[in-house]
Amino acid sequence: MSSVVDPFNKFSYMESGSQRQHFSPYADNGGSVVAIAGEDYAIIAADTRLSSGFSIYTREQSKLFQLSEKTILGCSGCWCDTLTLTRVLDARMQMYYHEHQKLMETPAVAQMLSTMLYYKRFFPYYVSNILAGLDGEGKGCVYSYDPIGHCEKSYFRAGGSAGALLQPLLDNQIGFHNMEKVTVAPVPVEKALAILKDGFISAAERDIYTGDSILIKIITKDGIKDESFQLRKD
Amino acid sequence: MFLTRSEYDRGVNTFSPEGRLFQVEYAIEAIKLGSTAIGICTSEGVVLAVEKRITSPLMEPTTIEKIVEVDKHIGCAVSGLMADSRTMLDRARVECQNHWFVYNERMAVESVAQAVSNLAIQFGDSDDDGGAMSRPFGVAILFAGCDEKGPQLFHMDPSGTFVQFEAKAIGSGSEGAQQSLQEMYHKSMTLKEALTTALTILKQVMEEKLSSTNVEVMTMTPEKMFHMFSREEVEEILGTLAPISKEDSLAGGVSTAREGVSA
Amino acid sequence: MTAVVPDIAKPGFSFENCRRNAFLAQKGYAVPKATKTGTTIVGIIYKDGVILGADTRATEDTIVSDKNCSKIHYLSDNIYCCGAGTAADTEMTTQMISSQLQLHRLNTGRVVPVITANRLLKHMLFRYQGYIGAALVLGGVDSTGPHLYCIYPHGSSDKLPFTTMGSGSLAAMAVFETRWKPDMDEEEGKKLVRDAIAAGIFNDLGSGSNVDVCVIRKNNVDYIRPFDVANVKGQKQGSYVFDKGTTAVLSTRSIPVDIEDISITPIEPESMDTSS
Repeated sequence: MSSVVDPFNKFSYMESGSQRQHFSPYADNGGSVVAIAGEDYAIIAADTRLSSGFSIYTREQSKLFQLSEKTILGCSGCWCDTLTLTRVLDARMQMYYHEHQKLMETPAVAQMLSTMLYYKRFFPYYVSNILAGLDGEGKGCVYSYDPIGHCEKSYFRAGGSAGALLQPLLDNQIGFHNMEKVTVAPVPVEKALAILKDGFISAAERDIYTGDSILIKIITKDGIKDESFQLRKD
Repeated sequence: MFLTRSEYDRGVNTFSPEGRLFQVEYAIEAIKLGSTAIGICTSEGVVLAVEKRITSPLMEPTTIEKIVEVDKHIGCAVSGLMADSRTMLDRARVECQNHWFVYNERMAVESVAQAVSNLAIQFGDSDDDGGAMSRPFGVAILFAGCDEKGPQLFHMDPSGTFVQFEAKAIGSGSEGAQQSLQEMYHKSMTLKEALTTALTILKQVMEEKLSSTNVEVMTMTPEKMFHMFSREEVEEILGTLAPISKEDSLAGGVSTAREGVSA
Repeated sequence: MTAVVPDIAKPGFSFENCRRNAFLAQKGYAVPKATKTGTTIVGIIYKDGVILGADTRATEDTIVSDKNCSKIHYLSDNIYCCGAGTAADTEMTTQMISSQLQLHRLNTGRVVPVITANRLLKHMLFRYQGYIGAALVLGGVDSTGPHLYCIYPHGSSDKLPFTTMGSGSLAAMAVFETRWKPDMDEEEGKKLVRDAIAAGIFNDLGSGSNVDVCVIRKNNVDYIRPFDVANVKGQKQGSYVFDKGTTAVLSTRSIPVDIEDISITPIEPESMDTSS
């Protein structure tokens, strides 16, 4: 069996017939999330398709997690990591509530999520997170993350499998980027909703991991309103 | 108390048959040897004033630190064993920084008190959290802070018990000072009034003559947050105080016992 | 002499860059990706002939690169072939075999048999040891009746009464296994093929958009494209029309046109020539 020519005995540890076993602890279950914040509202939406490879696991999986009356987290990527992360997040928020006798504000949740992700810097949660909610003053805010805890505050953000397709649309339509002679004005909630739905329609055309339907949550001081919207199913 | 002294006062792990932990009670006694500290909470902010005992003319008074900044929004005055207080204030600072790091917000005053209390009651045997601490801390702390609930004052004793106060005095002159505070404090007090009240009472209970070198003053306001008074600022307030007659002075009484570790 | 006579390219593939590309890949230079048609293609034999079906989605990794591509290829008047796998390979292979079949028809002077197309295709694929990534469903009608073959990229083939290929083959086969039966009529057959392709479109992410169907009978062919639009595109709410001047002008440069002479030629309507 010693067919390997090894004059310097470099591979002496190699037993004949030994094989390296490959194991990947991560899965990509796809999905896209979009969040838009305004003066007194925040909208967050995610598609409801959960898939792996060329197969669909389910067409009706919500990827939005309500963390409090004013904060919602949208997750896409490795679904099992999403489940674990959101459970730990819930537990940490509960502990905060008991330790400090108050509900966590959105900016506090945002910072905590960042530290939780960075804590697993070298074995990360493979999740693309977008957090939306109202801050202490009741203004809408959006925080987006990379899997290892980089956090960025903004007013609109797209993430997940079609993130690269959706973000330029938001940059132009919500952020008024790359346009001359336009009046930059805060976007009313109705317009934000329309752009969000149109974006998802287009994303479902080109991204195979985005489709079936979307779930929308509109956060205002009066509470959270749910809405859903059908997408193509192929 | 000393009548019932028995073998039960040796360890902190054993209650006496009457249900007392002597070591903790002794620790609370130890505070009464410490320098006097006064805290007054008003709607405008909190005032802390502390006496510094200059036991030797060769001593450098500025190196005695009895009021410290824990975070931008929390200041502490301590009385008792200064060495012990370092450990506790360090924990308070670490907890504040950790809270900021994890949540990106200021830690509530009550939460800081709770965190320090957790450290204070760790005396006794070693457990998972750390090694053995053979005795309770011999320190009482006044926490002055501003958070979303507004200006607040908390007091904590060596047993780890912490309670919110409108006005509180600790240390050797605390009995007389607390009495005076009860008479002089009212809810609509301004910060300026609180300052003069604190220093007037301190002047009454102190053995030495009150001067800008043997007193530390701090205010905690929502606007300026932690503000330690400079020598000049202290002198300015001292100048406005009414001179008190010998009879009014509450000092004296506890005298020789003061020399020692607590200063 | 060489300067006068132009070089005629040698037939077959050029392998001249193989060594270089292997070296580049080894040094970490990314190898360009080919368009793969994650696909559902099917074929059945029915009472009067063969029905082929295909979806119309082409993908590049997870992005849809063509929403309405054509996967049923012409081989000859009586033979068509569905292709799955590497888009370029299915396209070129069917075109090459198509031209060979045409030559064969001209040489023999008769309608080419389906079995010949099968043999040509599998020889070609076997020669390239699977490196030509074409998975095919071949169907046609000749003098001996309807025939359906399924050909794998390595060159093996099966002759079957119904078959499926591509990433959606399992979904489509599930439909055939439950509903296919011998001697179906045309309407029933087309419905079955549509449903099999639709199963692939909805349950396989590599397949999507519309259903194409090709019915091959004894004397004629119906190529129906699209046979069915399985998915309706969503209706947009907003308007994305931009006002004039929205795009920034970064720099301008004008090149004046020198006018040397102006002449005006009036064009008069010519009367129609009715002389003859």
